[in-house]
Amino acid sequence: MSEKTIEIRHKSSGMMRDAFKRLMRNKAAVLGLVIILILILSAIFANVVAPFSYDEQNLRQRFLAPSPEHWFGTDEYGRDIFSRILYGSRTSLMVGAISVTISSGIGTLLGAISGYYGNRVDNIIMRFIDIMLAIPNILLAISIAATLGPGIVNVMIAVGISSVPGYARLVRASVMSLRDQEFIEAARSIGANDFRIIMKHILPNCMAPIIVQATMSIAIAILSAAALSFLGLGVQPPMPEWGSMLSNGRAYIRDYWWVVTFPGVAIMATVFAFNLFGDGLRDALDPRLKQ
Amino acid sequence: MREKLLEIKNLKVVYSTEEKVVEAVNHIDLTIHRGEALGLIGETGAGKTTTALSILNLIPDPPGKILEGEIDYNGTNLLSLNQKAMRSVRGNKISMIFQDPMTALNPVMTVGDQIAEVIRLHHKISRKEAYIKAQMMLETVGIPGNRLKDFPHQFSGGMKQRVVIAIALACNPELLIADEPTTALDVTIQEQVLDLMDKLQKEFNTSLLLITHDLGVVAEVCETVAIMYAGEIVEYGTLEQVYNDTKHPYTRGLFDSIPKFNEEVKRLKPIKGQMPNPANLPVGCNFADRCPDVMPKCREADPIVIDTGENHLVKCYKYMAGGYEA
Amino acid sequence: MSTLLEVKNLKNHFKTPNGLLHAVDGVSFKIETQKTLGVVGESGCGKSTLGRTIVHLTPKTGGEIFFEGKDITHIDKADLKKLRPNLQMIFQDPYSSLNPRMSVFQTISEPLIINRVERDRKKLSKRVLELMDIVGLSSDLANAFPHELDGGRRQRIGVARALALNPKFIVCDEPVSALDVSIQAQILNLMQDLQDELGLTYLFITHDLSVVKHISDNILVMYMGKMVEYTTSEQLFKHRYHPYTKALLAAVPIPEVGAKKERRLLKGEISSPINPKPGCRFAARCPYAQDKCRVEEPAFQAVEPGHFVACHFVGEINQLNA
Repeated sequence: MSEKTIEIRHKSSGMMRDAFKRLMRNKAAVLGLVIILILILSAIFANVVAPFSYDEQNLRQRFLAPSPEHWFGTDEYGRDIFSRILYGSRTSLMVGAISVTISSGIGTLLGAISGYYGNRVDNIIMRFIDIMLAIPNILLAISIAATLGPGIVNVMIAVGISSVPGYARLVRASVMSLRDQEFIEAARSIGANDFRIIMKHILPNCMAPIIVQATMSIAIAILSAAALSFLGLGVQPPMPEWGSMLSNGRAYIRDYWWVVTFPGVAIMATVFAFNLFGDGLRDALDPRLKQ
Repeated sequence: MREKLLEIKNLKVVYSTEEKVVEAVNHIDLTIHRGEALGLIGETGAGKTTTALSILNLIPDPPGKILEGEIDYNGTNLLSLNQKAMRSVRGNKISMIFQDPMTALNPVMTVGDQIAEVIRLHHKISRKEAYIKAQMMLETVGIPGNRLKDFPHQFSGGMKQRVVIAIALACNPELLIADEPTTALDVTIQEQVLDLMDKLQKEFNTSLLLITHDLGVVAEVCETVAIMYAGEIVEYGTLEQVYNDTKHPYTRGLFDSIPKFNEEVKRLKPIKGQMPNPANLPVGCNFADRCPDVMPKCREADPIVIDTGENHLVKCYKYMAGGYEA
Repeated sequence: MSTLLEVKNLKNHFKTPNGLLHAVDGVSFKIETQKTLGVVGESGCGKSTLGRTIVHLTPKTGGEIFFEGKDITHIDKADLKKLRPNLQMIFQDPYSSLNPRMSVFQTISEPLIINRVERDRKKLSKRVLELMDIVGLSSDLANAFPHELDGGRRQRIGVARALALNPKFIVCDEPVSALDVSIQAQILNLMQDLQDELGLTYLFITHDLSVVKHISDNILVMYMGKMVEYTTSEQLFKHRYHPYTKALLAAVPIPEVGAKKERRLLKGEISSPINPKPGCRFAARCPYAQDKCRVEEPAFQAVEPGHFVACHFVGEINQLNA
């Protein structure tokens, strides 16, 4: 410790700061982070940045090729694709963030309970998870979305629930390896109850893999949401969403390449950025991997 | 004087990461003679294992690097050999026993395969002959030969360490390096393994470099002793010289720290403080901050190694001509 | 002297895939206030399980435990919570026994927060710094994390955490075996000082005979879950009667020139007490074993006042005229 103060810090910030330093040294991760930041900013300021409104139709200007006025061209209703992509990033990022919050929240809880208590509880939860795993992810999301009906909220729920098993398994495995560590026993010997042990001693120590998994699965969630929208189960028009933009544009793919290319590139860039960042985060949070 | 087998000259090894440079071994000299059992004693982080790995040129690089020095083995400098030449030395002329017998064996190979493997790597003999030799080795270490086809998990900890010894001795090495070979074992099993090592070392006239933190283990097996502290050898001599005529304050501190088995001591006399951070060693003697006999000049310059008589080497100002006054 | 803790016929059996493991099998002893009972034995002898069972970290299979004369064998959660502060534990591994995400301050303050001893932030800080001072940790380490510290300092944190609730009784599970000798001596001295100053009573579990001799008043030797020999520390190192204790003590390497004694090698290996056969558990390795040893379990009986041994042939082996 460099400072000689005895001022007690009640937050464990030191470790996170070290991890952040390592992250900043990783060029690929920084690139990912920059793209993510641009996306977030453009989502927040879409109404300021976008030259047109997302639903402003101009039937006389249908299928205009990219030009200085319409950077990414226009679609079949003459709407500006650049503006729609900017607005679409709002939907995509929100779907990604909220569905990942749902899945990581439920998954972590189930995994922690299952791993900590073991035996019967573990058996029941894990068999349930196995059943969910037996159904392909996207199929599960489609059936949930189909049951709940189309709409952005239902997409988030569907995508969120369908990726719960991954978290549950991940958290269960790390909880089981932590459960037998002496510091857990030490916590019990000073009278800590199960809730405190899980919240204070176990979960903070398996945060790293959860954060990494969450970052990576934002990308997957955005893809799944796009797929659902593509199938018409997701966001309803005229609200722009990258998946539904792809879906609508695919009829014109032969003549007007820009209608599908730009939403596709947007999805790709986002997924790419989150994956780069997630990779970097994993290395930063777990320095052992690199040596 | 016996024939020299291995001579470490001025060895310096560092581990460097982006933030710091750890000086693990600092200019040490050490000689092992043919048939000699040398005990290298030191605490965690003293550089014992690094020294051993340097002999086999197995320092993980990066982050480790042998910066200076020579390791002279029968007239060749091991550090100048290429990987291929080095491989023919490892396990053949010089072999090593690691601390943890549980992880030193491959769990999916039978012990027979593992012993035969090392023999066939270094000698051009048929598979059959190798297995016959492997069986002989097993019996030498006190395991019935019919267990050749058993897997490591079918053996207990002490038996596994015997298998590890059998592998290490399979090619009749001239030098056996044992890195804390009994630390993971219980005392009664440790006794068996030490007894076996002692017997085999004499029988095969192998030289032994025994690395340990346990002064008692060295007293049972070794004739010469080197004490290591913070990357340096601070005292070297025969077992009698070091144990009965202890010179260096660190060595004396070690002896005072251990609870005595045969006499009644009400209170232990620990060495105060901690070992210095190897990434930030002090100027002068590394032991100065913990030394009860520290003098001003100890903090100014590093003491040199001096012979206090009959090759009893000490790295301390106290024993230089004039002692304290000089 | 009053008895602080008494254990009667304590048993702890676990189900394992290979059968029932008799980790602790009928252990009885008393510890007096401010004394140290050393429990020695090799791996798998049940010494750690014994300690954990006493402080209620592991459920027991049978037997009784009395603390200050009160039966604490079957106590409910609320009573256990009240009792907890009195029964503390120091763990073996200074690396895994500290939560890597908690600072020194957080670790030492946790028992005080959980048991609502100190609610006031300022008083809490004061108490933690006081505890750090008691165990010899400099106060500027309060914000440090375990990975920044060496083994000796980490173990001091573990000691401070155990002391936080002013316990009367501490189970020390191999507290120095992961430490270097020079640091080990510091911690042993610290523990002795604390015992004198705070009136602590220890159950000191170790495999290191030199350490146990140094720190204990009485010593219990265990082998495969069973008590083998019990007496005072002084007595045990002068006269030991059980063949296992003899072999165990003879096996300790002594750091002296010429200490290479006649090796009395014990044959065979230590196995774990899974579905143990009847008779003496040491019979398979015992140089004196006879037919009776393989059939009938020896009683744990006094050979001299205060010196108990479990061996059928203790008289014959030691040429005692009983």
